[in-house]
Amino acid sequence: MQDKLKNYIITVGFIFILIMVFILNLISKDKDISISERRRLAKIPSITFSKLINGDTSNEFENYTVDQFIARDELRKVKSFVSTNIFMQKDNNKLFEKDNAIYKIEYPLNENNVQKSLNKIKNIYNKYLHNMNVYYAIIPDKNYYLENDDYLKMNYNELKDITQSILKDLNYIDIWQSLDLEDYYRTDTHWKQENLDKVIEKIEKEMKLDNTLNTKYKIEEKGNYYGVYYGQLGKQVPPDKIYIKTNDTINNCITYNYETKKYGKVYDEEIIKTSVDKYDIYLSGATPIISIENLNSNTDKELLLFRDSFGSSLAPLLIENYKKITLIDTRYISSNLLENYIDFKNQDVLFLYSTLVLNQDILK
Amino acid sequence: MVFSSITFLFYFLPIVLAIYYLVPNKLKNTILLIASLLFYFYGEPKYILIMITTIITTYIFGILIEKNSKYKQIYLIISILINLSFLLYFKYINFIISNINMWLTHKIDLINVILPIGISFYTFQLLSYIIDVYKGRTLAQKNILKLAMYVSLFPQLIAGPIVRYVDIQKQIEKREYTLEKFALGVRRFIIGLSKKVLIANVLGELIQVFGVSNEKSVLFYWLYAIANMLQIYFDFSGYSDMAIGLGKMFGFDFLENFNYPYIATSITDFWRRWHISLSSWFRDYIYIPLGGNRVSKIKFVRNILIVWILTGLWHGAEWNFVVWGLFFGILLIIEKLFLEKYINKLPKALSRIYVLIIVMISFIIFSGENINIIMENIQGLVGINGVPLITKESLYYLKSYIIIIIVGIIGSMPIMKKVSEIKNMKKLINIIEPIFLLILFLVSTSYIVDGSFNPFLYFRF
Repeated sequence: MQDKLKNYIITVGFIFILIMVFILNLISKDKDISISERRRLAKIPSITFSKLINGDTSNEFENYTVDQFIARDELRKVKSFVSTNIFMQKDNNKLFEKDNAIYKIEYPLNENNVQKSLNKIKNIYNKYLHNMNVYYAIIPDKNYYLENDDYLKMNYNELKDITQSILKDLNYIDIWQSLDLEDYYRTDTHWKQENLDKVIEKIEKEMKLDNTLNTKYKIEEKGNYYGVYYGQLGKQVPPDKIYIKTNDTINNCITYNYETKKYGKVYDEEIIKTSVDKYDIYLSGATPIISIENLNSNTDKELLLFRDSFGSSLAPLLIENYKKITLIDTRYISSNLLENYIDFKNQDVLFLYSTLVLNQDILK
Repeated sequence: MVFSSITFLFYFLPIVLAIYYLVPNKLKNTILLIASLLFYFYGEPKYILIMITTIITTYIFGILIEKNSKYKQIYLIISILINLSFLLYFKYINFIISNINMWLTHKIDLINVILPIGISFYTFQLLSYIIDVYKGRTLAQKNILKLAMYVSLFPQLIAGPIVRYVDIQKQIEKREYTLEKFALGVRRFIIGLSKKVLIANVLGELIQVFGVSNEKSVLFYWLYAIANMLQIYFDFSGYSDMAIGLGKMFGFDFLENFNYPYIATSITDFWRRWHISLSSWFRDYIYIPLGGNRVSKIKFVRNILIVWILTGLWHGAEWNFVVWGLFFGILLIIEKLFLEKYINKLPKALSRIYVLIIVMISFIIFSGENINIIMENIQGLVGINGVPLITKESLYYLKSYIIIIIVGIIGSMPIMKKVSEIKNMKKLINIIEPIFLLILFLVSTSYIVDGSFNPFLYFRF
């Protein structure tokens, strides 16, 4: 090829791409949400004099152009491919894929954050829960079970040591041996509800509850599940399936959301039609306080479950043992306000937090 | 606005290019001026007034100097003081106050001031213009719009190269547009963009990880030192490539700013290859007026030290930049007075290793937040601070970044340049080049769309 032709191709090609992309970006309709990234996308900013002068308009416009860029998802896949397959980077935005499962590097252990999180739990114990049956269990993130030692994992032994030294007045339930890699979704952080038999058995044993292992459940499939990591990685892996375990007891339960003041069902089949996260089927997703009342119950026992999102799928499986389970998520409500909503009496208490939450300082 | 953003690439650039090539030649400068002011206003809405003020005053004093030879020295001094006072206030005032405060019991409050983007660059351009008018190297520009267009020209406005008025005054009046030049511009721009987005930004992530790591090791200190060296080079030279490339698309020919500095065989050679527009500025406007090297040894040492303290301070109002400048100043003096003859006799490979180690240490000083971190990062290279040789974490990051580091090392050497000069390869290269550029542009765009880590290091200068 001659120089002239090459120069012609480069010049015309470059201008053509710039102008075509500009026009396509202008005429393409803006999206509200990114399903793959599970987040709201930026909208075109409003322009006011003060926003223009303090630079807010420019910053918002930058976010808008990136979020609404044509073929954004495809380009993110290109980036993922180049970084992992060409540059051979071990992770892409801290995410990596192995055997069709996606993991996020949770490293290093942030001892300071862990201590802060645990001290907040201890403060709740000291303030409200003295002389009650109080238990705690830590849910390992799925990296713990990843056999390949090539990837960075937080120092789990150190985490356990810190936990046991700060929460020494509480009863510890070790569920780490009751889980395995296949008990977690391949495309998400969470555990699978249908795989929690061993965890339930362990909790019931330690908390001296009736063993409900022989309780009959119907397992219903609720379609494909694209977990939180699925869109973040920008790489194609097969989706998970999401299931619910149900029986008459669970079907007859009524939930009450203290924030919205609305009653509902344990499994929210409506919300998954609109929510980008199908895990919200369990107790309608994240909320500060929600209770499950067991209308078939033969007991007056109650459980206070201090929890993160892992607790939503586990709580329904404990309801056979209780008249009422109140789930409290202190990521969304300050623990100082709890006495306004909860009557602390002689309930069982279980703190159930994942390593992911403890390693951040997000409990209030 | 940064070049490596969707806003610039797919909104600003196509609109400006289209208008620029559609309007008649006599309107092209006006279009460039408007586009450049919008470009600056977008990123620095408030402080655009400072730039406009300095342009107007420098314009007036330029004409006064030319018209009135009796007072021209006074006009020059006033103009220099006006330009420097803005730079001094916005860039150095808090540095000065905090240093004075060290000696005071009643401390002076720091001033809430933000460094206007590009002020170090455009101030130096204006200074070179006014000094050149004074020296008679050029005539004063009578058309303020043309002077404003020269200073605010968006390809080089916020991070250089420091284009001198004398070098492009003819191009301001008349530029040549050829297919070859435009294509060359596209090539330089895409290569610069890739250097920035695919190498510098990615290595920047590694440097961030290193900064917060609690498990440092000798290996990790080396990874950091090498990544840091490559990041600074690819970030800054990538920006210069983009600036030169954009300049060509609009018909300008800017001088080169980098010439493979990491193959230099001495520190003197390194500074002939690194940020050439800045080092030549200091040479022509400070070093030579002070007498350069045609003076006594003591004065020569004084001249070098003044230039390098100022070079350090130009990069930032922190003591580490002063130390960084002095570090080079002292090394250059040692080289000139003693070492040069020995270095010249060394095999090239050895002299290059000598330069690379010195430069690597210099950039640890350059990037260090404080003296403790700088010392730790230097000691860590030889394990003096008792860290292990290797940790699982450092091994992980070595595996994760080794390809990018290798690409960076290869990209720092003129290998591709030499290959492209082989005659028999020309046909093949002509076929591959457009495809290669298309892929680089696509991949760079994908990194911009996906990533949030996109700072330009030289914006803070």
